[in-house]
Amino acid sequence: MAKWRKAFPVDLADESFISRREFARFLALVSAGFTAGIGYLWIRKKPLEGAPEPAGLPEARVDLGPAAALAPGQSRLFTYRDKDDRCILLRTSDGELRAYRQTCTHLGCAVRFKGGQLECPCHNGYFECGRGFPVQGPPTRPLSAIALEVAPDGRIWAVGDLPKPGRAKEA
Amino acid sequence: MRPKPPRTAMTSFVLGMGLLILVIQVYLFETVLGSVLDGRRALLGGAFAASLLLTVIALFLAFRIRGLENESRGKDEP
Repeated sequence: MAKWRKAFPVDLADESFISRREFARFLALVSAGFTAGIGYLWIRKKPLEGAPEPAGLPEARVDLGPAAALAPGQSRLFTYRDKDDRCILLRTSDGELRAYRQTCTHLGCAVRFKGGQLECPCHNGYFECGRGFPVQGPPTRPLSAIALEVAPDGRIWAVGDLPKPGRAKEA
Repeated sequence: MRPKPPRTAMTSFVLGMGLLILVIQVYLFETVLGSVLDGRRALLGGAFAASLLLTVIALFLAFRIRGLENESRGKDEP
């Protein structure tokens, strides 16, 4: 008798009685589950957490306040399409204005602007500010970016979703 | 008259196909999920059709192929 059998004397009378047909049915059932999952993604209208809005939506314009009020290295939170669409507006050290959705592309925690980078505190993921690419930690996809406009009167407007720049290159 | 070949090869083929289909499904789902999270939904229809085809094949193998019973029974099974 094997050692582990002696260590764990659990009666597993049925363990050897799984026929190949039962196992094949189990595999088919799991395969059907994946098909159902893809079908659900297909018919689901609302984008998944962290995904950009589908093309064709009317562009929403949201006033984000005066550009001069945001110094380099500062950030401000805002909501864009609805109250759950939390975003972060920031001014980089170069003076560029950028806006991203706050949802981390790893597991959906809220990112924050800290030390010149966007940081996800849940699993220590970091994104660079220029295009939202992940630079450290578990995230592999860039943040969803918001297009900005600075009006002649100096106010910042969020005017739509920027297309994702593609998957981050492996380091 | 030649003896009938054992069914073991066939049932192993069925199980191998089932496992292969499952690996493809996992890869397909992971790819689709990544694309949807990147905002690319155009491939969802094709991916669903491919996944459905694989599932139909897996169901056919699991329910229609003969000789899958009693292959892994213990030797002491009557």
